[in-house]
Amino acid sequence: MTKQVTLTIDGIQIDVPDETLVVDAAKKAGIDIPVFCYHPKMEPVGMCRMCLVEIGRPMINRSTGQPVLNEDGQPTMQFMPKPETACTNLVSEGMVVLTQSESAKEAQKDIIEFLLTSHPLDCPICDKGGECPLQNLTMEHGPGKSRFLFDGKFKMEKQIRLGELIVLDRERCIICARCVRFQEEVAGQAVLAIDDRGRGSEIISVSEPGFDSVFSGNTTDICPVGALTTTDFRFGARPWELLSAASICGQCPVGCNITFNTRREAKSAGKVVIKRVMPRQNEQVNETWICDKGRFAYHYAKSKERLSKPLLRKDDKLKTTSWSSATKLVAEKLGEAGKDTIVLASGRLSNEDLFNLKSLADGLGGKAVLYTEMGGGDLVTQIGVGQGTNFSDMGQGDAIFVIASDLYEEAPIWWLRVKQAADRGAKLIVANSRETKLDKFANFVVRYSNGDEVKTVQDLGGTGKIAQAFSKADNAIVLFGSDGLGLEGSTHLATACANLLEETGHIGKANNGLIGVWPKANDQGAWELGFHPEPDLAAILKGKAVYIVGADPANDNPALAKALKKAKFVVVQDLFRTATAELADVILPAQTYTERDGTFTSGERRAQRFYAAVPGLGESKPDYAITSEIAEKLNIQLEGTSSVLVFEKLAASVKDFAGLSYAKLAEVTEQWPIVGRGDLYYGGSTYENTQGLGVQLVSASDRGETVSIPKVRNDAGLRPKKDELLAVPITKLYDRGTTVAPTEFLTERIGDVTIALHPEAAKKLGVEAGKRVKISFEDVEGEAVVKIDETISAGVALVPRSMGLAIREPVVIKVQ
Amino acid sequence: MLAEKYPEEVKQILGRYPPEQKRSAVMPLLFMAQREEGFVNKEAKHEIASMLDISETEVASIIGFYTLYHAKKEGKYRFQVCNDLPCALRGADKFLEGLCDKLGVQVGETTNDGFVTIETVMCLAACDKVPMFQTQSPNGIKYYENMTIDKTMELIEVLKMADKEVK
Ligand code: SF4
Ligand code: SF4
Ligand code: FES
Ligand code: FES
Repeated sequence: MTKQVTLTIDGIQIDVPDETLVVDAAKKAGIDIPVFCYHPKMEPVGMCRMCLVEIGRPMINRSTGQPVLNEDGQPTMQFMPKPETACTNLVSEGMVVLTQSESAKEAQKDIIEFLLTSHPLDCPICDKGGECPLQNLTMEHGPGKSRFLFDGKFKMEKQIRLGELIVLDRERCIICARCVRFQEEVAGQAVLAIDDRGRGSEIISVSEPGFDSVFSGNTTDICPVGALTTTDFRFGARPWELLSAASICGQCPVGCNITFNTRREAKSAGKVVIKRVMPRQNEQVNETWICDKGRFAYHYAKSKERLSKPLLRKDDKLKTTSWSSATKLVAEKLGEAGKDTIVLASGRLSNEDLFNLKSLADGLGGKAVLYTEMGGGDLVTQIGVGQGTNFSDMGQGDAIFVIASDLYEEAPIWWLRVKQAADRGAKLIVANSRETKLDKFANFVVRYSNGDEVKTVQDLGGTGKIAQAFSKADNAIVLFGSDGLGLEGSTHLATACANLLEETGHIGKANNGLIGVWPKANDQGAWELGFHPEPDLAAILKGKAVYIVGADPANDNPALAKALKKAKFVVVQDLFRTATAELADVILPAQTYTERDGTFTSGERRAQRFYAAVPGLGESKPDYAITSEIAEKLNIQLEGTSSVLVFEKLAASVKDFAGLSYAKLAEVTEQWPIVGRGDLYYGGSTYENTQGLGVQLVSASDRGETVSIPKVRNDAGLRPKKDELLAVPITKLYDRGTTVAPTEFLTERIGDVTIALHPEAAKKLGVEAGKRVKISFEDVEGEAVVKIDETISAGVALVPRSMGLAIREPVVIKVQ
Repeated sequence: MLAEKYPEEVKQILGRYPPEQKRSAVMPLLFMAQREEGFVNKEAKHEIASMLDISETEVASIIGFYTLYHAKKEGKYRFQVCNDLPCALRGADKFLEGLCDKLGVQVGETTNDGFVTIETVMCLAACDKVPMFQTQSPNGIKYYENMTIDKTMELIEVLKMADKEVK
């Protein structure tokens, strides 16, 4: 049990729980004790000695257990003969801490002087300059002069590539081990370590590829010097020249809060461009971290391939045209088609875009179809996770069940937070048909055969040991994905999960419920607004007017390309001239979400705002504005002048959004640990959240309404027959998708398209690891490099999505 | 492969630690691995890491931290001279310099015949018998205390002779 204790720091009296460290207690009282190795999200190690302070504790009479009083009736204080580290000492009742005493200041000054004996002080060419804890603390606490002989300065080779993404400057490193500890404690991937000892100490990584972790960028935020930098931002700009725009990562359903740092620069022809992506604190979503995909893959937004003008097909060629003639034609054709209109949109779009698109489809009597290969969102909409859900609150007594999802590749920050909940004692159950990186941290690993997904979930409703761990848990969350599954399979899976949660009573309260690990950032938002996928999309396109937004079906599926050719009219609204756009009658250039305002709904059903970071490209416009322009010509009244107006309308018509507004989403409350510009020595260079923590939507379950969950067919899953090879889709973090591939320095991580086989299957086919094979199924033909995975069954092959082989669901393939 | 070559010994080492703390076996396993060639090669690093469920980087870091372990092939005999503070105060540095001069190498280097490598190490707990060093070789670890340069050169000759005889 924790109890409150009272202590005095520099004369200020405060009450804190007894498990608080002196350094944190001081921070809460508004007193900054300098630190380098300490970080509020990691265990203290006391390595750097920067936080030396004087600590006095009341003298206790051993026989009575009472404090010894002096003549004035005050407790007698006992100070250690030497200063102590504030980062390793816990507070205690009656403690007195002096951070500004003669001896404390002297100690702090000495440590800085020591550190600088082996520091190059090349601040003018150091990327950290301007936001460097060492620089700041030296100014504040340093001696100003050094007694050290310059010739004895520490020299080492600079610019060591720990991998393609992170560069190490060994001279600047002060061996605080924050990076090493982050990788080990927080990320659970000990791919950094200290080599040698004493003055020879240096950070190394010998993993393949170097610094093999999707969280590597975070070490550059918490490194207190310029020793770790990203290849992306190094020598890119000085921190003080950068402007910041609050945003949300658009790469996966976690919805990490980020800040885009932008600058106007000559190199980019005087345009304002994004220079880097930084995490923005949201303790309920991403804490102070982001993954490397979120940090690095933003370059697609400034790709030269972007569409900047509307195009119209004339004499079978796509020619540039004006907005008015383009939208006029679109309106005419959609109007003609009326209820034969299909709006096909993806979860890459914002809530505002999707709301307008849905309203347009409704106005025409047409159909709004979600372009996705994963189902079950209507159930997540009804159940969701209870309001106030926060993975950080989960631990002992709780349970988390992850099924058919490779969280590390699909939603890295959820992986990290689920793993940490398990570290805190939550029972983690990981079920998949193959090994994933989360298995290592699980209490129970369930390995099922492909096709047995639903049965696996149903077994969890039984009486076995694992089932008990789930049903008896105080709180339980299920995360389901589409690993090895297509639209049909994942829909059944979601239904089974919803049933399980209802049966075990894990709905309608915080830290309970259902999360879909969607392929796109705003898939959940699309479901909320009434978009649904179509089981047989190709079948319904014939003869229709199709309005495709933010999706590239022709590229993903030859059958859809064929079907689109038979459509009556095709209009494509996108960032790039995709394969689908090539088939279009009209192409409308959309802005990226970095160029405009809007909101996304995360997988945890948190509506969050993003703000425009850079001006729009060319003549491109926000999706919601384009849609409203078309609608206007059809006499359908939609908002188009500003996203805030669209959101107002949305909130007024969609029940779970009732009462929400941009102002509400922009509200912030105090968060711990304190981060931000003045405090970067403490929490790292993560941005403070001043522009909104977002709001978690209230679900039907939260309101106590009964949710109708359909019965589930458990015979649904496809299984390989004898002598068949069933290929199933899996997700790779770095794939060839349009929002990743344009970032050139990720090419190595994206790698080749692979097919993973069981050793037996490989033997039977006469192929081995690293060999190129021909693959064919349905209309698809392609090549892939063989990988061996002993954890799958011999009749199954794993094929990654969005890597050039158009796999959407389990399918029997031929391999040569 | 260690586990294939010395299955019994590996089993015996792993058996000393509870399974959830098997990472502790890294020290004896590394020592065993380097018995072969006087250093821990890449394959052994990889094998030990996967045997103990730790990362290769962690294994590399342990090799780097301890002067007992080596990541590179050097001379057959490593002369590890202590020049930590107490030894330094009693002339270890001078001894070291003289020895290096005699052998025509610098600290960290190996003699041309590939027989002797000179290294420095931290306190070997023989501070009262300076100059002192230990040798690390296929014949194990041996201490030599109260040494002089001449005595050391003699020792090298003796070791070389013994080496020839064995061959
Ligand atoms: S690289 Fe940075 S974070 Fe890592 S030990 Fe060095 S100074 Fe600390
Ligand atoms: S975890 Fe998802 S939302 Fe967060 S930074 Fe990575 S890709 Fe973006
Ligand atoms: S020793 Fe306390 S911050 Fe490093
Ligand atoms: S200092 Fe050399 S043996 Fe102790």
